[in-house]
Amino acid sequence: MATDIVLVEDLTVSYKNVRAINNVSFSVKQGEILAIIGPNGSGKTSTVECIEGLRKPDHGSIQVFGKSPREERSEIYKLMGVQLQETEYPSKIRVDEQCKLFASFYDRPADWNLLLSQMNLADKRKRQIHKLSGGEKQRLSILLSLMGRPKLLIMDEITTGLDPEVRQNMWQSFDAIRKTGVTIILVSHYLDEVEALADKILYMEKGNQRFWGTQNQFREYVKGCIPQEEWDDGCSLEKLYLKLVPKTQGISMEGIL
Amino acid sequence: MKRFITICQVEFVLFIRDFFGFFFTLVFPTMMLVLFGSIYGNNPIYLGAEVGMIDVSVPAYCVMVIGVTGLMSLPLTLAEYKEKKIYKRFDATPVGKKSIMVAQVCINVVMTFVGFLVLLFVGLVVYQVQIRGDFFSILLAMLISVAAMFSIGFFFTAVARDTKITNLLCYLSYFLMIFLSGATMPDMLFPESVRTIANLLPMTYAVDLMQGIFSGYSLTNYITELIVLLGVTLFFTIIGAMLYRKKDWA
Repeated sequence: MATDIVLVEDLTVSYKNVRAINNVSFSVKQGEILAIIGPNGSGKTSTVECIEGLRKPDHGSIQVFGKSPREERSEIYKLMGVQLQETEYPSKIRVDEQCKLFASFYDRPADWNLLLSQMNLADKRKRQIHKLSGGEKQRLSILLSLMGRPKLLIMDEITTGLDPEVRQNMWQSFDAIRKTGVTIILVSHYLDEVEALADKILYMEKGNQRFWGTQNQFREYVKGCIPQEEWDDGCSLEKLYLKLVPKTQGISMEGIL
Repeated sequence: MKRFITICQVEFVLFIRDFFGFFFTLVFPTMMLVLFGSIYGNNPIYLGAEVGMIDVSVPAYCVMVIGVTGLMSLPLTLAEYKEKKIYKRFDATPVGKKSIMVAQVCINVVMTFVGFLVLLFVGLVVYQVQIRGDFFSILLAMLISVAAMFSIGFFFTAVARDTKITNLLCYLSYFLMIFLSGATMPDMLFPESVRTIANLLPMTYAVDLMQGIFSGYSLTNYITELIVLLGVTLFFTIIGAMLYRKKDWA
């Protein structure tokens, strides 16, 4: 039986008087891809930031490789690669310098020259990062998360800003990475991505854990949550998700005209 | 150690690429020295004085260099890294933000001393400036002055909630201090009211200390200056560190 790489129990986080995460519990086994989904403000990023040791929980316990991410951060980061939802780099630093810097953090860094080629960034290596396009920055961010040859990857909105072809390539790459035994936690708003990659899904809403289980179990869960006449067996995960999430009001023309 | 050296190398390159830091640390003070030197030469500061204009200007401009790195370059870098969540990204590696911050302090200290050396070199070669103080007293005076100015810059980044406020605090304090402390022009030219204000500024004590030690006086002649500068260092470092602990880095 595969071991738990990440174990989260009763995780609770508040910001001032607002409860951002409320008693969330789940685990991720070796070689598994867990997708965390949910509407904006549902606590997805706060959850992964607690796993990454960047945010202190108010209550509950988190274990990553059997260690506490707050207390044994540097040990865990030897095995964990992270892509944050939003991050920038020093404005005047060049791509190759950033790669060299990150490579120096690890005892056995990845071959970043090869990764630059694979990410179509080889011709940008001497360019300052602030001059890269949004998609190029995103690819660099993914590259840097792979620098330490991680056993656990946490990717927060991994394919945001990437064009459709690069997104598809990324899916294939992450599927291949998973097959080498790497565990992946993926926060995403793209349900096609989740459908293509995820073994398990954690669905959150307003800081609460609504569902945690396999894709098939998620379909059954949605079936139980929506009216019978709205159910369609062949429905994509995205359509199911849209039936599930609380409806938001679009912009009315009266407000614009 | 190898890891830390790589971080320092990158931070050094970034310092050099930043025009403001590079120009005002290494070029501007020397330009001022040459400019005032070409006007006044190294003539005695008053009739019968043993020290010349450039003899007292070199230590004053050294303090100007400390002002650039301590009150501008370092705090503005810290504020930028914090606001852009660059430190957070480093916290998501085995290294963490502390190593990066230590490297940034080290590079700014090193560049301050490079700035001193450039000034001393030009002063010695072009104006045969007289340095009567002993090496260790001068080094100690420099280090204490650096510690005081850097601690103020550090405090600004701790107390300000964003880069705009840090910028405001840094620019205000920097220009106020370099013009009123005697770092740019001799304070003997100031009226009494301005001198009273100048006496409230920590940089004034750094200028007085450096000029005195360069002129050959003993550190024991500058007990007040030493107490003020060490007090400033302790106060701003401790309060800054306490405020940093409460900061939300996520």
